[in-house]
Amino acid sequence: MKKYKALKQERMPFNWCPGCGINIIALKLSEFLEKNDYTNKNTAIISGIGCSGRFAGYFNMDTMHTTHGRAIPTAEGLKLVNPNLNVIVVCGDGDLLSIGLNHTIHSSRRNADIKVICLNNSIYAMTGGQTSPTTQKGWITQTSPNGNKYESINAYKIICKPFNRFFARITPLSRELFEKSLYEAFSRKSFSFIEVVLPCYENDFRRNGSRNPSLALKLFTEKYKDVGYTENLKNNEIGIIKNHGNKR
Amino acid sequence: MKNIYNGSQILVKAAMKASVGFFAGYPITPATKILENFALESYKNTNLIFLQSEDEIAAIHHVIGASIGGKKAMTATSGPGFSLMQEGLDLAFACSIPLVVVNVMRQGPSTGMPTKSSQGDLLQTQFGPHGDYKSIVFYPNSIEEIYRITIEAFNASEEASSPVIILLDAAISNLYETIDLKNRRVKNVKHNLIFGSLNRHLSGLVTDKNGIPETDNFKIYKAWIEQKFKKITEVSKRYDYFEYIRSKNAVNLIISFGPVPRFISISKKYSIFRPITLFPTSGKLIDISKKYKKIIVIEMNEGQYSFYLKSFIKRDIETISITQEDLDPDKLSEKINEKI
Repeated sequence: MKKYKALKQERMPFNWCPGCGINIIALKLSEFLEKNDYTNKNTAIISGIGCSGRFAGYFNMDTMHTTHGRAIPTAEGLKLVNPNLNVIVVCGDGDLLSIGLNHTIHSSRRNADIKVICLNNSIYAMTGGQTSPTTQKGWITQTSPNGNKYESINAYKIICKPFNRFFARITPLSRELFEKSLYEAFSRKSFSFIEVVLPCYENDFRRNGSRNPSLALKLFTEKYKDVGYTENLKNNEIGIIKNHGNKR
Repeated sequence: MKNIYNGSQILVKAAMKASVGFFAGYPITPATKILENFALESYKNTNLIFLQSEDEIAAIHHVIGASIGGKKAMTATSGPGFSLMQEGLDLAFACSIPLVVVNVMRQGPSTGMPTKSSQGDLLQTQFGPHGDYKSIVFYPNSIEEIYRITIEAFNASEEASSPVIILLDAAISNLYETIDLKNRRVKNVKHNLIFGSLNRHLSGLVTDKNGIPETDNFKIYKAWIEQKFKKITEVSKRYDYFEYIRSKNAVNLIISFGPVPRFISISKKYSIFRPITLFPTSGKLIDISKKYKKIIVIEMNEGQYSFYLKSFIKRDIETISITQEDLDPDKLSEKINEKI
């Protein structure tokens, strides 16, 4: 772990469960920040609530763990008064697409120059596995024992369609794509949204029959096809939407 | 030279004097004028950043973001918006983030009577957020006082590292009076919290000194919350403002605040005590109240402040509950005469 200088060594190990992809994202983000000289002098991380909420506290910079769904407005206020600061928001799907969806859409409308990483595990994991707005139709959770009755939200359409903001979708195992999308996001002066699709083994896949955390993560990511730079993303594809968001 | 200003205009002037750098808000009657005046000010003055938020929950968090970003920040709202802001106030309290919220009170509950004055949000400023919470609350009642108190509110908030509330109501914020702003020297406490320099971690969770979450240790929680309450109480002692109009030989004490005392005529029969720092309540009130046989609170709600004062001065209190309709010297003295 010593080589990850952007992480607080005294906070290790991470508190996330086996089979969760958030730890990989944290390590990759730390590598990216260190490689590109994003330090505590020019970068801050704001997070929301839940498993993703703990993300900010592991980083060696000024960070804040806000209330549920309100990381985006906090980050936008911070960025407005401190325009030279790179502001990263790390939140879950509940934060960004349910309780804070209003803020996601409006900050995207105002084109706030913040880099949003959405850790989308399609479930409320910290509270024990309830249906989230990204839970697939038919999927069994603690609050939909007979299968989820409703359609799920697609973040790609919310970010890309109305205002053409930068969007990328990755998985924890698509490391190169994550680095590329971070690079693209940081080179833009635009609201940028990176959706990380990941499984929640403990609250979701284990209950639905899976018995091996690392295998579940592997099988989960294999469902997604890497299409690289593209103009359209289908539900089972990961990639980067090109020509979206104003360049610096 | 004296100029004429209304409550919202002078509030913006005072905030600029206190070097506020950020304002976010959402339109709501009767606080909209403050929002508009800040918007206007931000065009004239590049030091002020203005943002119209998508709702009040966003507004309070925009303000929190601006405050951690290194600027003095504030928002203004009315009852329904103030209810929405409670989670943000709680977060700012827990994370020791200074900010100022103006609540221009209107007649509730719910949408109520939006254009009418009321004093129905007094206890919400203390007991609105979940968990144990405390904030310093000011309630000025003239243009001169709004100017002075707004600057003091920013200083108190910086010293206490916690949210401070300024209560107004429709009558006071729409009031026009003259004021001379020339050659005023004011105390201006600096804002110290600036993100982008250290390795701080602010969290709504209970954390230890290094910012590491400690959600199993009640010892840490107890020490933390007691220290927070103590700090706010100590700071509030330096911002303990009230007006006391004493009548010799009077046996009755009238306690009233906001626009109400402006309509109470001076009489030999009673003294008037007007708290400007509503919470934490001035300790001097305990000594003053001992000189009187009867204590009467006149307030524009169903008895919120007297409910609170009963436990504060440990005595029985008479309440005259009025509405905006009763803001009239004759009506008020009639009601007072019935009680004494």
